[in-house]
Amino acid sequence: MSRHLVSLSLNYRTTPVEVRERLAFAGNKVALATQEIRALPGFEESLVLSTCNRVELYATHGHEDSRKGHAMMRDYLVHHFKLQPEHAEALVFHQHVSTETARHLFRVVSGLDSMVLGETEIFGQVKAAYKLALEAGTTGRTLNKLFQQAFTVGKKVRNDTLIQRGSTSVGSVAVDLAEKVHDLKNCRVMLVGAGEMSRTCAQSLLSRGARSIIVSNRSYDRAVELATEMKGSALKFDEWESVLHEVDVIISSTSAPHFIIKPDLVHHVMRKRRWEPLLVIDIAVPRDVDPAVNDIEGVYLYDIDALQAIADDSRRERERQLALCEQIIEEQLEKFGFPKSPADALHARRRRPPEADAQSGLVPS
Amino acid sequence: MENYRLLLVLATLAFIGGLVHAVVVLKKGGWRESRWHLLPMALGFALQTAFLYFRGRALGQCPMKSLPDILVFIAWSIALLYFLVGGAYRLSLLGLFTAPLVAAMQILALLLPGSFGAYPAKDRIIPLVELHAAVALIAYAAFALACITGVMYLMQERMLKRHRIGGLFYQLPPIQDLAKSIRRLALLGLMLLTAALGMSMALHHPVSSPKVIFAWAVWLLYGGMSVVMCRHMLSPRQTAWLAVVGFVVPFMSLWLVTGK
Repeated sequence: MSRHLVSLSLNYRTTPVEVRERLAFAGNKVALATQEIRALPGFEESLVLSTCNRVELYATHGHEDSRKGHAMMRDYLVHHFKLQPEHAEALVFHQHVSTETARHLFRVVSGLDSMVLGETEIFGQVKAAYKLALEAGTTGRTLNKLFQQAFTVGKKVRNDTLIQRGSTSVGSVAVDLAEKVHDLKNCRVMLVGAGEMSRTCAQSLLSRGARSIIVSNRSYDRAVELATEMKGSALKFDEWESVLHEVDVIISSTSAPHFIIKPDLVHHVMRKRRWEPLLVIDIAVPRDVDPAVNDIEGVYLYDIDALQAIADDSRRERERQLALCEQIIEEQLEKFGFPKSPADALHARRRRPPEADAQSGLVPS
Repeated sequence: MENYRLLLVLATLAFIGGLVHAVVVLKKGGWRESRWHLLPMALGFALQTAFLYFRGRALGQCPMKSLPDILVFIAWSIALLYFLVGGAYRLSLLGLFTAPLVAAMQILALLLPGSFGAYPAKDRIIPLVELHAAVALIAYAAFALACITGVMYLMQERMLKRHRIGGLFYQLPPIQDLAKSIRRLALLGLMLLTAALGMSMALHHPVSSPKVIFAWAVWLLYGGMSVVMCRHMLSPRQTAWLAVVGFVVPFMSLWLVTGK
């Protein structure tokens, strides 16, 4: 009896979020699911990776036809989540076998299959999923080896390429900038206006260690609400100018039709700050901050276009790194002794997007 | 070629090697904080130390009298302070900026006519005189590092102002840390120079000596700079410029000091 290494993957490319959310495993149910999959007839090992962007099942089974294994895993998902026939019919999966499974996992761990190319969070999520399966006793020699290899490849891709260089979202760019101006541990942040984007930026700064947040908004209730959420303090809108000299980062996102932060004000603030650097993030449209503020010594002003341009540059740089990452993965597949299959030759020739794999008939069986 | 001269050539090559490696890695964008980056600097420093040891033994006194020897001693002090300061302020990339200055000073020392010749024999060695000279030169090294940190600050500041977020930007420390380092290095240099001048007064050197006059001029310059820096009378950018341009004075004074 031959043993097949298989995976079934459903992610943001194949499945819209309204279907994906029906198929997400609750954190405390993942271990049970791995055990249920391993208990399927002919299955020997199993692992479930469930994140907001993907649900993936990895397994080994002894069925002659690997398609049977895929069908059983698919049926398991349909029954487990009690999908209506119309939803079940609409499901689109990537199905991988043997080398394709390893390649897919290596790409996932390296962040190449992520919505944000090169993101690092997935590495930790795969590690957590593996740990859970290991503790549940559902992994064996094949999956243990495969996942250890995947972690090695993931680290290698990150170390040997620039796939994670820079930030690809406006919020992360703001954090990168703040880190290059101040030591975040001592960084005080002020939100002028309580829009969604400024909230995201502030949360990114807090998650990276910013010391405190002050929120000022025309609606004081909204300021209090946001400040409470972020464990900061709220300020009435007519008071924010008076404490401006105490903060190191200003994130402005009001709906004012004119500039509310002008050079005179900032000049005065900088004198009070004894020229300690000040980062001003203006994500309002129309802009809240007069561009002339950037000419003041020690003030670094970034508006939404400047932030977006940096994020776009990083994204392009990551895309340029993609070929190098794929090359490393191919080298590692060869090093780990994964056999080349007809699909591998096809992969090398076409470097097709993963969507093309989905139930396309190109998957080896 | 004397053995110790070869040591200096090798030390210079180590610093140049470290610089080339850093530039290549940075251009590829693959620079990451690593202790391995310190290896060429450490090797260069070890070779410098060996050079000074053998040179001192050959002379029978501290090698700090001729311009080439002084240049090497300052280069050694810069490397020493780099190891002390770099770790404390997480400025490991400082090596990239330090290596070219150290290498340039050593190349100049090697190329100067009649470099590393013998000194007139001294009747007796006065330890306080030797210590005074060594401390003064280490002070100059601190001013050199303040100058290098000033260059780093100005580069980072320019990138932030112009929104040029590229390779080197991610590797340089926050400008606030750089500004603090400039202030601390200038203060360190000032304290060391004060100590050196204190020792020279204890030795009753004649006040008219160009050496002492120039040393006091440097002291006044950095004393003024430190007051301006610590009282935040100038912006950090102006402070950085001051640290960069200010170093020209002590550097040029070396010629006068040794030309006596």
